[in-house]
Amino acid sequence: MSRVNTVLGPIPTEELGLVAVHEHIGYGMPGSELDTKWWKTPEQRYEETVPKLRAFHEYGGGTFVDATGICNGRDVDYYKSLSAKTGVHIVACTGFVGGDTALWHFAKASVDYLTRQFVHEITVGIGDTGSLAGVIKVGVSRGGRMTDLDKRIYRAAARASLTTGVPILTHLAIDAENAIAIFNEEGLPLDRVLFGHVDDGVNADKTRDVWIAEQGGRIGFDTFGYETELPDPPFWARPRKERLDHFLRFIGEGRLKQALASADANCSPLGWPGVKGHTVNYIFEDLIPDLRAAGLDEAAIKTIFVDNPADFLTIQK
Amino acid sequence: MSGKSNTVNTVLGPVPAEELGVVSVHEALLSVAPGAEYAFDIRLDRAEIFETLAAKLKDFRAHGGGTIVDSTGMFHGRDVRLYETLSRTTGVHIVASTGQGPEEKLGGYFLTPQTNPPTPWPAEKFADLFTKEITEGMVVPRVERRGAAGLVATAATEEGMTATDESLFRGAARTALNTGVAVSIRYGNDAVHDLDVVLDEKLPADRVVVGGLDREDAVAAGAPLEVARRGAYVALDHVGVEDEAHITDAERVALVADLVRAGFGNRVLLSSNATGVAKGHPANDLPYSYVLTTFVPLLEAQGLKPEDTRRILVENPRDLLSAR
Repeated sequence: MSRVNTVLGPIPTEELGLVAVHEHIGYGMPGSELDTKWWKTPEQRYEETVPKLRAFHEYGGGTFVDATGICNGRDVDYYKSLSAKTGVHIVACTGFVGGDTALWHFAKASVDYLTRQFVHEITVGIGDTGSLAGVIKVGVSRGGRMTDLDKRIYRAAARASLTTGVPILTHLAIDAENAIAIFNEEGLPLDRVLFGHVDDGVNADKTRDVWIAEQGGRIGFDTFGYETELPDPPFWARPRKERLDHFLRFIGEGRLKQALASADANCSPLGWPGVKGHTVNYIFEDLIPDLRAAGLDEAAIKTIFVDNPADFLTIQK
Repeated sequence: MSGKSNTVNTVLGPVPAEELGVVSVHEALLSVAPGAEYAFDIRLDRAEIFETLAAKLKDFRAHGGGTIVDSTGMFHGRDVRLYETLSRTTGVHIVASTGQGPEEKLGGYFLTPQTNPPTPWPAEKFADLFTKEITEGMVVPRVERRGAAGLVATAATEEGMTATDESLFRGAARTALNTGVAVSIRYGNDAVHDLDVVLDEKLPADRVVVGGLDREDAVAAGAPLEVARRGAYVALDHVGVEDEAHITDAERVALVADLVRAGFGNRVLLSSNATGVAKGHPANDLPYSYVLTTFVPLLEAQGLKPEDTRRILVENPRDLLSAR
């Protein structure tokens, strides 16, 4: 039986449809909830979020993978209501965006404790929601090198992935030698890991995407739409053509089966202003048209957005 | 609101300072290690937490206690609505605090913000965050503001004050200057140095309480007397705690006597750092009434006069907490 955990319960892989594999309903750094400058009413949050998800559904989107880690404003009850009312499958994650987003209780925890936290959220439930996590989030802290805590989280994620069959999705793919060493030590096949943000404007130059792919990892071009052409681009933005060319070059080297793409947009950001005009629907409104214009056929597009995410997300048990 | 003289901000509103009675200045009601609320193996049952805290507050009141100060700050389990209900139910005044620290207990929002480079927050931003908790109300995250904080509490890293700890201390001092509320500090590895950081902001020393001065290292360094000489309040705030890090109750009795003899009876505060309910860290299960039931008799047996006891338990905390 093939299955994927969504916030409303497990679904058959066949039902995922087109997947936005690295997105956020709303992301905020831990502690941002104390600063009223970012607060929004529930009315406002639904108003900002529902039309984007509805449009995603109407464009033919099937599944939205939320990559918001444990202390970053992840709100599974809210996701359940959004999923039920819009018809979009939402996959929630366990894990942390990076060690620098893990609060003290987890920052001092052992690999064993972190493993048990992740396994619990995948097999028993996230808090009292009853929802099971469908993916494990890990990442590299600010600064460009994996910290000791980042490494503990990666190791725990590898063990939880082996125990549960749920895959791992990374924030940043820099310092990948350290990440891959940990996954190899734990015996985790690298096709269970999506190395994300290889296209990020700050880190693309120092991210060894081809090397990671050669080791067997899946590669996430998943910050599509954060463009320097935007009126107010974030610091991780990148010229649109440069990112697209990077992606086309990568898949042109026979690596289509290892490539995934997403927009990493916030429907309604929690602890930062967000980027005006950038939504998950960049995938339909800009990216897929750009890929067609570059000569990709429908089969290739289906591979990137349907088949590859389905292989990745399906619980390996 | 602050600013009125001789009132203290409690969770149920400003209270005339004379009504506080016996005050325990450094205690915790619900103490939750940051992040523990998301842990798979920790449950937060509000009804159960309420029952436990209410019983402990009633015991405090039954032994003559009037006011509990929850000095855990804004990010360690503070639950303003629960504290309002507890205060109404038990008749004990509850003063809640703003502030946070040390650095390792902060969320990434303050340490690695989404800017390039990720510069940690400076003192001025902490001052603004804490000040609004007094002038506009304490945050119930992403929901509302309620009540006003009655103290700004912060702490430094045990191994020694970090740059961000210093920003927290300076931010706390500026909050006190902005609002008239007092500052509580828990020092890292040097009480006098850490006190001097807040005094460097031109905050009068009598607006500061230094906690943890019954720690072995501080006593060995002569910090309690030095802190009192600078004019700040000396909190022996682990009364009843017997462990390697702290002096014994017998030694605390002697230290109080020394301070009183040196003319600093008006600078001594006593508390137990009891945690009513602790989640994600070891509890200190002493009753809030421990100072009243067990320690005061020891003090008086050693010759402390009743007027000195009253000064330490009632007048000193009253003067500290009265918003200026």
